[in-house]
Formats: sequence, structure tokens, C-alpha cells
Amino acid sequence: MLICDEYITPDTLSDAFAAMERHRGRYRVVAGCTDTLPWAREGRAGDVEIPVLIDVSKIPELSERRVDGAHVRLGAATPVQRFLDDAVLGRTMPAMPRCAVWFADDQIRAHATVGGNIVNASPAADLTPCLIAHEAAVELATANGRRSLALREFTLGPGKTALQDGELVTAVVCDALPGYGGSFEKVGHRRSLVISTVCLAVLVKLDAAGRVFEDVRLAIAGVCPVPRRLTEIEQALRGVRLSSAKLEEVADMPLDVVQSRTRQEYRRDVVRGFLMRGLINAAKRAGADPTALPQDFETTYA
Amino acid sequence: MPDLQIKATINGRKVARSAKPHQRLLDFLRDDLNLTGNKEGCGAGECGTCSVFVDGVLMKSCLLPVAKAQGTAIETVEGLARGGELSVLQKAFHKAGASQCGYCIPGMVMAATAALRANPFADREEIKERLGGNICRCTGYQKIFDAVELARDVQNGRLPATALSEQEHAEGDFIGKNVRRIDAPSKVSGKLRYAGDMIMPGMLHVQVLRSPHAHARILSIDTSAAEAMDGVEGVITCTDVPGEDGFGVFVHDQPVMARGKVRYVGEAVAAVAAEDPVTARRAVAAIKVVYELLPAVFDAEEAMRSGAPVLHDYAPDNITKHIPIRVGDVEAGFAAADLVLEENYSTQAIEHAYLEPEAGLAYVDHDGVVTVVSPSQNITHHRHMLAKIIAKPISKVSFIMSPVGGGFGGKEDMIYQGMLALLAMKTDRPVRLVFTREESMASTAKRHPSRTTLRMGFTREGRILASHLTMICDGGAYGLSTEGVMRKAAILGAGPYAIPNVRVDTYGIYTNNTPSGAFRSFGALQTQFATESTLDMAAERLGLDPFVIRRINAFQDGGTTHTKQRLGKVSLTRVLDALEQGSGWEQGVPAVRGGARSDLGRSDVRPAVSLGARFAAHDKQEAAE
Repeated sequence: MLICDEYITPDTLSDAFAAMERHRGRYRVVAGCTDTLPWAREGRAGDVEIPVLIDVSKIPELSERRVDGAHVRLGAATPVQRFLDDAVLGRTMPAMPRCAVWFADDQIRAHATVGGNIVNASPAADLTPCLIAHEAAVELATANGRRSLALREFTLGPGKTALQDGELVTAVVCDALPGYGGSFEKVGHRRSLVISTVCLAVLVKLDAAGRVFEDVRLAIAGVCPVPRRLTEIEQALRGVRLSSAKLEEVADMPLDVVQSRTRQEYRRDVVRGFLMRGLINAAKRAGADPTALPQDFETTYA
Repeated sequence: MPDLQIKATINGRKVARSAKPHQRLLDFLRDDLNLTGNKEGCGAGECGTCSVFVDGVLMKSCLLPVAKAQGTAIETVEGLARGGELSVLQKAFHKAGASQCGYCIPGMVMAATAALRANPFADREEIKERLGGNICRCTGYQKIFDAVELARDVQNGRLPATALSEQEHAEGDFIGKNVRRIDAPSKVSGKLRYAGDMIMPGMLHVQVLRSPHAHARILSIDTSAAEAMDGVEGVITCTDVPGEDGFGVFVHDQPVMARGKVRYVGEAVAAVAAEDPVTARRAVAAIKVVYELLPAVFDAEEAMRSGAPVLHDYAPDNITKHIPIRVGDVEAGFAAADLVLEENYSTQAIEHAYLEPEAGLAYVDHDGVVTVVSPSQNITHHRHMLAKIIAKPISKVSFIMSPVGGGFGGKEDMIYQGMLALLAMKTDRPVRLVFTREESMASTAKRHPSRTTLRMGFTREGRILASHLTMICDGGAYGLSTEGVMRKAAILGAGPYAIPNVRVDTYGIYTNNTPSGAFRSFGALQTQFATESTLDMAAERLGLDPFVIRRINAFQDGGTTHTKQRLGKVSLTRVLDALEQGSGWEQGVPAVRGGARSDLGRSDVRPAVSLGARFAAHDKQEAAE
């Protein structure tokens, strides 16, 4: 049970910082609360008494999202469901709708936030691999100023981030990638409300003929302490023609990504399958030449 | 502690009330507004029994601090049946028989309402996906999906409104007919009150102190700090039990609260009744217990060895129950067999996970009758046991069975009713205890984990000549239903087959694990899993179709079981026929299936699990471009 004496819902960032200053050492910042409330239960943190909760989800700036030339700026309190119902986000972040549909369920996505997912820093966070594939930068603010940090540097380990005392995550700034094909492959113990055993984000850009990989971005989570990019495979595919032989070759590249405590062999099998399926799906959505891959190859893997 | 002043519109009516800052929207709706159609199944956003619309968007009210409701318009299940008339979806749930225990149903109706609002033409796959955040343990979901499809088609005019009416059938003609469940309207509307939804004037809230140790001697319990707290009205331990302290379905080996020692993690040690749940929880945390750790045993086979820690003085060998059955001569059967197979099988503990966590209410009425209201699956037996525990004549003990929000055998045990009765007597006020999901998981019975060794002998033609089965079950710390489960396992374990030579031994063993108890199929699952698996392996070795080997051995009309029960009519062969036909069975030995299955990809074969049905239309459009 989460017990607090005061629940503050500031309307502005400056009010939030003032509340943080006023209750220094006695508060916790919350937004969607979808992680905080289940955390304060038996078997995890148990009964938790936090004097002050500061809910930043009603600060308008934190829910803004805009496409700014080559970048998409997501306010930290953007609910995950926006990736499914905002067409602009779907177009500029093509793997995100596929990721969002696997994230918890429709109801939790309605208030679970982007900022919360990255601050929570779960090794199985679903959004993080997508975001790092977009070269996301985290915008951090204090009452006195702002700084920006690559998401890859922000996430330090399970539950650990570079967030400092008195700092708030205000936005996540991502590469806008219109014209890319996206896919998100995930497996857990069931479909909805499930923690990833393995998840993989794939973004692919092909040439005009739909034959050559111009750009490939791959990021994996659920198998290592922090989500990570698969740069070796990305490099092996850039500038290369799309073919079944090449996909099989990269899927077989020896990768040392699976560091999980359990079921390593199973996870390695899944990673291989996901690389095949994710690259095929993303390439198709990027406008691949339908003759580029044999039909039976697609049926086998995708 | 500044209270919040919440202003919101709830089911079309303006509400302005103060609320505690730590309250969740679920607490506010249930405790302050008495809207108990919103259930708490898990409190962690996993089950969906608490789903409500906030400004038109469905959310789980257990994950929403009440402050988030400020200024919003909230719609709960109570708001769906406008003017008392059920919505199309609620009527469809009634028609399709989609409610069983009913505890998940208000949330399901809300999720289905959201799904059809989001896409009035959603197909079955999309409906499944959009209901993905809601869990049901009774229906297997198919009737729920049927109901949503029915409502969709009526709303879209593809079916007439009469499709929601009851199917006509002759008086007394029920089999194979769509017969209305008379309790369904109370469930689809959220009006039905389970024990945790019931309130009484002056009611106190109960919380339980549970053992953190698997096996420990209790040296002392100090409740003074808890008793001194403001708002605490009563604290009880085993010393408050006036009568014979013991309950259980077969052997009364479990005290209402731990007496002398604890035998599993989660066992009740003390209980508190206070003016509100937070005070009760704080009081529980203030009880000091000094334990002396004892060696514990967590494996049934280890518990059977000499020198193993002993749980109960009356059972120095840790055997709760051993059931032996002997028919014919199994060794002679094996000697005459053409094929003998021997295999080890194990099954794990399983939690019932009914959506309604245990809850109960107790009071002493004007005539001094101690009354317990709870979803007990065994109230008459509970009443008799409680009379002895509280040393009252049976006429002064009453049990009322509240609606059971799923039981599956898990609510047969009198795990908490004794504490409720004692607290009602001690405080002379009504008391209510509602388990958290975690508490329910940690402290109540599970399906027996088992290890089975099975040896079976067959003729070349597939006839079973002998079956020798030994099963060891982990019964956990207390007996509960173990004896019955062992009997059933022994009686049904050899399967519905005529076998001339049978030897069965089933053992229920005490360990320091969570107690095992009743669970659907009651022991038959564990032993039949072994027998049926061995039959499949024998079919493969003998080149027989799995249906064929079962038909060869099936009991026939007038047969006798290995426990000498005479059978009148036996329906097994008809069941096998229906199963073979209905499943689209591909005939042959078991090894022909697997990767070479010809039915994969057929429209009636379930594809691999995936998500993204809502993208299907989008993908088709992309493909067309």
C-alpha cells in the first residue's frame, strides 16, 4: 500500500520545482503511476510511506509533442497510447505503434508515460529499444537550467539512471524517420500485460527500388541489463542488397547479447528468429520489392 | 495531512467530496461512493476488474491516485444500465451465458464497451486484443467473445434486436438449449455484492500478521504496541481461542492462528481489527514476534526420509495420507507383456487465481449468534468446526455463503473465518477482512505438486495388462483436503480402462511449503497425466493411433473398476468418437504429427500467438499501395 500525506498536482514546471524544493528529501515524482502503485505492494516494496507525491502529468509542456524538422520532441508525460492514435507519431516513428500495441494493455497505455518508462529503467522496458533506435536524447531540467543526455547514457543499469536529485525528465527528442519501415517483435508468457522475455525494435530504410538497405537500426531488450543497439548487424546491412541469404547471414552473426539469468539458450533462438522476422516485416513496410525475398522464406520467418 | 477536495462527474452526477491523498480512484468509488461494481482483483493493474472510463478513456482505477480524477467525468459499470435497462452489451453477455462467477464481468463489460466504441466493426481477433487487459478464470473467454460479437452485430444492425432475447424452448427441455442464467443480470450490471463489497454500520477492518518463516518456534508475541494504537479495537492470537483449536477438511491439524510454531511462510500468526485498513496495517506492523528458526523441509521425498524435520507430532513420518490399491498381480502382468514402459512424471503447484480474493465479514447478532459471511465452498462443515473452535453450541454459530467469485476448490478451507469470528466476539462489532491478491497467493491452498513413477505393460495389440503407479504429493504444511485428493488420485489414476492387474500407491506428505488442497479434478489430474502420457508413448511404440489404443482398453457397459465399482452405462467410447471428430484428428501413430501436420494454416486451426489485429486493415491498405 502506498501511503502519502500530500498529493500535489502542479500546473507548471516552476510550480513543480518549487514543490520539489519545498519537500526536498520527502517527495517522489510520479506521472502515470502505473509502476509506482504496483511497486508499493507485498512482495516488492511492501507498504511504503512517502510524505509527498508530486504528479507532473498535468503540466501542459510535458504532454506536448511536435515534429521539429529532423526531430520528434515528445513531452515526458506523453501517454504511450498516443503512438497508436496520433498519426503523426506513427509516420515519424514507424516502429512505435507496433511496440505500443505490445505495451501493457490499452487501459494502462492510456496513462503510462514515455518518461516513466525510461526513468523506471527496466531491462525489459519496451519503449527504450525503440527510442534508442531513434537516437533519443533525454532532456533534463532543474529549476535553474536544462541539459540533454543520450538515452543510452541516461540508462545505467536495471532501475538505475543518470537522473540527479532535483532533476525532472521533461522531454525525449528522437530522430524523425518518415519513410522507414518499422517492426517490433516481442515474446513473453502471454500476449497482453506481459514483461518481455525478448523484444526487438527494427527500423529499415530502403532505396527507391526497394532493393538496397540504405539504413538499418536494430535495438534489443529483455536479454541484457540495459537495452542496446545491434550495431554489428546494422553495419553489415547498410548499403547491401536485400536477399534471403544476407538476412540468414546476419541472423547467424555471433552476438554476445544474451546475458539473462535464465533461459539463455531459448532467448538466443528467439533473437535469431526475431532478427529474421523483424527485418522481413520492416523491409516490407519500407516498400521492399515483392520479388526480393522468396515467398516461402517469408512464410517461414515472418 | 491535507485532504483532497475532489470534484468530478460520476455517472452523470456531480460529486464533491474530500478524499485522503493516498486513496486510489478505486477506493474512492468503492469505499466513499459505494460503487462496488468496480472490483479489486489484484490491485496491480493486471486483471481489469476495476476498469472505468475517465473522460471517455478506459483505465484501471486501481492504478489511478484519486487526485487524477479531479475535474474529470467518470463512467462506471453502474452507469451503463441507464434507467435500469441493461445496455446492448450487457444483454448480449446475458444471452451468451458469458458470466459465471461474475467477478470479472463488470470489468469485462467495460472493456467490451471500450472495444466497440473504439471500433464498432472490430473482428474477433481485435476484440480479443482490446480485452487483453482483463482476466477471466471461469469462462475460457469464448462466451465473452461470443457476447461482444453478438452485441456488435446487433448494434450495427446485422442482427435484429431479438437476437438478444432468450431462445424459446419447451418447458423442462434444457439440454443443448440456450437457457438464461438467472443470476446474470446482477453480474453484468455490477449490482451483485461479494463479501468484500458488503458493509455494516460500525464495521471494523481486519489485517493479518503472517509468518515470514517456513518453520520456526514462536518464543513470544507482544501485541501491546498494536493494542495501544488509536483506532485499534482488537488484537487476537492463538490465546484468544476458547475451544478446540483445529480445522481441516479431513484432519483438524491447523490452528486458527499459529500455535507454538509456524509451519509455512504466510501462515497467520495474529490479527488486528481497527477503524480503517491503514491503521490495521500499521498495527500489524507493530506486533513483535520472537521466533526460533527450525530446520525446514521443502521436498516431499526428503520429508519421507528418516531424520527429516517433523512438522506435526501426530505424524512423525510426515505422511498425511497413504492410499494403497492392489488388484491381481502386476508382476505377472509385466511378465506376460510384450511391451513394458516405465516413466517418471512431475506436476507443479498451481494457484487457483480466482478473480475474487478471499474476503469475509463476521458479526455477533442480537441473539448472540456468531455469524460469518464468506464465499466458503463448504459452509456446513465450517459451521461445525467453528462451533468447536469458539466453544459454542451449533445453534449459536451461523455461516452465510456470499457469492463465490471463483473457487475451483480453493475456498473449501476455513483459512480465515475463525479469525473473523474471534474478532467479532472480542470487539462486539462487525469485522471485515479482504485479502490482497498477494496474501491470497501466499497463504491459501494450491494444487498438489506431484512426482509419479508409472510402469505399464501392454500386449502387442495394445491391451493393458498391468499398471503400477506410485505418486508422492507435496501436501504442504497442513492437511486441508490432502486425504481426499490422494483417494481420488488413487481411484481415478489408472484411467477409465479395464486393467486386470493394478497396483497404486498415493502419498500426501507434510512439508514446509504452502499447503496444498482441493483444486478442480482433485488428484485425478496428476495421476491421469501419467497414465494418458504413457498411453500415447505406447501407441507410438506399438504403431497405433492414440484413439485406437484407448478404445481397446476402455471400460464397457457393466464393467467393474479396480476399486470394485460396478459401472452401468459407460460413455467413454462416445466421448472419444466426439473428440476425434470435433478436433479434426489426423489418424495415425502420434509420431506422424508435429512438423508434418497438414492442418497448419487451415482456417479452423489457431495460428501462432501474436498481437496487432488492429493493424490488419492498415496493412492491407499498405499492401494495396
